[in-house]
Amino acid sequence: MEKEELKKIIYQLVEKSTGKKKLKQSDILKKVAADQGLEKSEVKAALRELMDAGELIFTYFGGSFVEIPPKE
Amino acid sequence: MSELPQRQTDIGPPHYEQFLPPVIQKNYGQWKYHEQLGPGHMVHVAESGDKIWTVRVASPRLLSTDTIKDMCDIADAHCDGHLRFTTRNNVEFMVDAESKVEPLMKALTDKDFLIGGIGPRISNVVHTQGWVHCHSAATDASGLVKALMDDLGDYFTTKTLPNKVRLAVACCVNMCGAVHCSDIALVGVHKTPPRIEHDRIKNMCEIPSTIASCPTSAISPDPQKKSVKIKLEKCMYCGNCYSVCPAMPIADPKNDGIAIVIGGKVSNLRSNPKFSKLAIPWLPNTPPRWNETVAAVRKILETYESGARKHERVGEWVDRIGWEKFFKITGLEFTLQHVDDFTFARETWRMAATFKW
Amino acid sequence: MSMKHQTPLLDELEKGTFPSFVKEIKRAAEHSDYAQDLLGLLELSYKEKVTHWKHGGIVGVRGYGAGVIGRYSDIPDQFPGVAHFHTVRVNQPSGFFYTTKALREICEVWDKYGSGLTNMHGSTGDIILLGTKTENLEPIFAELSSKGWDLGGSGSAVRTPSCCLGAARCEWANIDSMSITNEITQHYQDEMHRPAFPYKFKFKVAGCAVDCIASIARADMSIIGTWKGDIRIDQGEVKNYAQNGMDIQKEIVDMCPTECISWDGSEFKIDNDDCNRCMHCIAKMTKALRPGTEKGATILLGSKAPIVTGALMSWVIVPFMKMEPPYTELFELVDKIWEWWDEYGKNRERIGELIERLSFTTFLKEVGLEPQPAMVKEPRRDPFFFWSEEDIEK
Repeated sequence: MEKEELKKIIYQLVEKSTGKKKLKQSDILKKVAADQGLEKSEVKAALRELMDAGELIFTYFGGSFVEIPPKE
Repeated sequence: MSELPQRQTDIGPPHYEQFLPPVIQKNYGQWKYHEQLGPGHMVHVAESGDKIWTVRVASPRLLSTDTIKDMCDIADAHCDGHLRFTTRNNVEFMVDAESKVEPLMKALTDKDFLIGGIGPRISNVVHTQGWVHCHSAATDASGLVKALMDDLGDYFTTKTLPNKVRLAVACCVNMCGAVHCSDIALVGVHKTPPRIEHDRIKNMCEIPSTIASCPTSAISPDPQKKSVKIKLEKCMYCGNCYSVCPAMPIADPKNDGIAIVIGGKVSNLRSNPKFSKLAIPWLPNTPPRWNETVAAVRKILETYESGARKHERVGEWVDRIGWEKFFKITGLEFTLQHVDDFTFARETWRMAATFKW
Repeated sequence: MSMKHQTPLLDELEKGTFPSFVKEIKRAAEHSDYAQDLLGLLELSYKEKVTHWKHGGIVGVRGYGAGVIGRYSDIPDQFPGVAHFHTVRVNQPSGFFYTTKALREICEVWDKYGSGLTNMHGSTGDIILLGTKTENLEPIFAELSSKGWDLGGSGSAVRTPSCCLGAARCEWANIDSMSITNEITQHYQDEMHRPAFPYKFKFKVAGCAVDCIASIARADMSIIGTWKGDIRIDQGEVKNYAQNGMDIQKEIVDMCPTECISWDGSEFKIDNDDCNRCMHCIAKMTKALRPGTEKGATILLGSKAPIVTGALMSWVIVPFMKMEPPYTELFELVDKIWEWWDEYGKNRERIGELIERLSFTTFLKEVGLEPQPAMVKEPRRDPFFFWSEEDIEK
């Protein structure tokens, strides 16, 4: 799978979950790897690119989660 | 603002080797023995015959960059530009010749640094952030430590005890400092349940994780209010729900206070590591000097000092004489709060007919 | 600069002989608005007996989910200087040794971008830079990382590993705690900076059973140096201790927990088979006794503070592991443990709590560790135990 496509899938998963359930990094890796039949390391690499670009961020709320950055 | 340098990620800390004094680099892993020379200085001797003298000073842990620079000035003048911190936030200055020790100690004393903390004494007090920086602090930590050590300072600088006594302060039961294995530790505690801010809870908190956060299952859903409710008789005021849900504040200035736990240790010397156990469940939170708490610690310390055998830690002394005798000779009240009714309660009940009158 | 706020309660804590944190804040307040308003805010806490900090916030440096603790005042209008008061955790060098040049560099960055207040060090071991605002986080990170410093752990991540000074200045170092700590830190950079675990995971490395880093009380994995073989005895030095006034019978022999020492006034004997390596005799007679020469570590797992279901101390999972670079055996074990924790751990569940919930036997099977008597204080006292398929006669 193209990395850009994978990034889109990850982003959409986080987007869909917003306001319902906060996702941990490991929730995303497990779910996307299982759904797409990929290695967790591939999902992780794609997620990291989203993070480095600031499209997704880590948040902390009694535990660390992955979320879409709040709009300014 | 001038242009920023290029950021780097995942480089980790600088390698420790570049910070080691030359005599340590040369004798790394080759130390033979050490001797305590005084309340705040000692010498380590290497297989090669090389020696390193260490002078230890107290620190409030909360340091201004100005004070760090003062320390650097002394290290530059006396220690070839090297210094270190201990795991209990003391500062250590090291020199490679005996002739350098006296001038170093004088320079430190001239700048009002307090030399001590080595051997059978009280060393620096490990503590948490308190009101200086923490959202869940039930009391301050730096202030309690300052009040305590102003009273017990002699045990840092000169006086000796049967063995070392490790003091610690945690400003709430989260115990960021993991103070639960200290000889004497102070812990900020609540004694009233959290308040539920139903309006805020919807937006700020995940209901399932809030419910799951409670160790006694006191929290359940309140579907009508789209919020939660608390079974008051089950709440033990730990504040873990507040950690995951800010709409459940638990701070209560009238009722928050300080508990004292004692008899813990982490070393394996003689006896196994021990948890600290409850000596006093609640004392009033009385800044800026916390007189009741300071007096209680002094009382426990002095009882230990007069009753313990040489090399016995507080916990070993109490284990030998028995807790029933500890309460008798300290005069501390034994209350319902002292009887464990939490996770590991059963192990703490007396399953024998032997005890002292 | 004169002080902006009256602080009669805090001023009390400038008095007395022990070093004063109030003096430190006031020193910083000479050149820092943060410190000025921190004094005002803290004075109010002393008066009202309640904290004025809000729950954390979403701040950090780009790409990292750890190393910055967001902190905001609940009364920013009254104390604008501490409206933001974020903490930056900077990963300390192993053993807490510094050159003055390095410390001055950090101070310079912090005076430029922050409150000028620090903790040397935080409970876990990081250099704590206490109090800055959101827009300064990236510049601080750029300045520090370009000078060779990186951020430490926070949140559901590997927390900054820390250790005693070990081989650098201690004759009891059975393992090179500083090297091991540095290697662990470098090996798990991603796991430190990008939280992926159910909750925090702490490593602490102690050179011997004295455990100056308190690893057994507060590390999810406690690595404690130990040895096999005989304690080395210098009989001449034993006699010197006796001549210099030590009551060897009372202070050493009688205090040995396994009663494996004898002393007749001329020869000091240890029955090493019965020694449990508590280190009391070695610690009291540093010149006469030294650990044996086959060195390694005992690996213990699971300690934590009381939240949520009570405090735990670490317990033995590997009685003896050789600790030599590149520490492959250790890393393989850690990876297996994390895989299991990742699969079954709930949010905010530490590894020790997960083992309690799912059982130590399940853990041993899943991680592939052989049961050994050294792992328990005593065998079970109840008659209820599991067997597996292959134990059953068909």
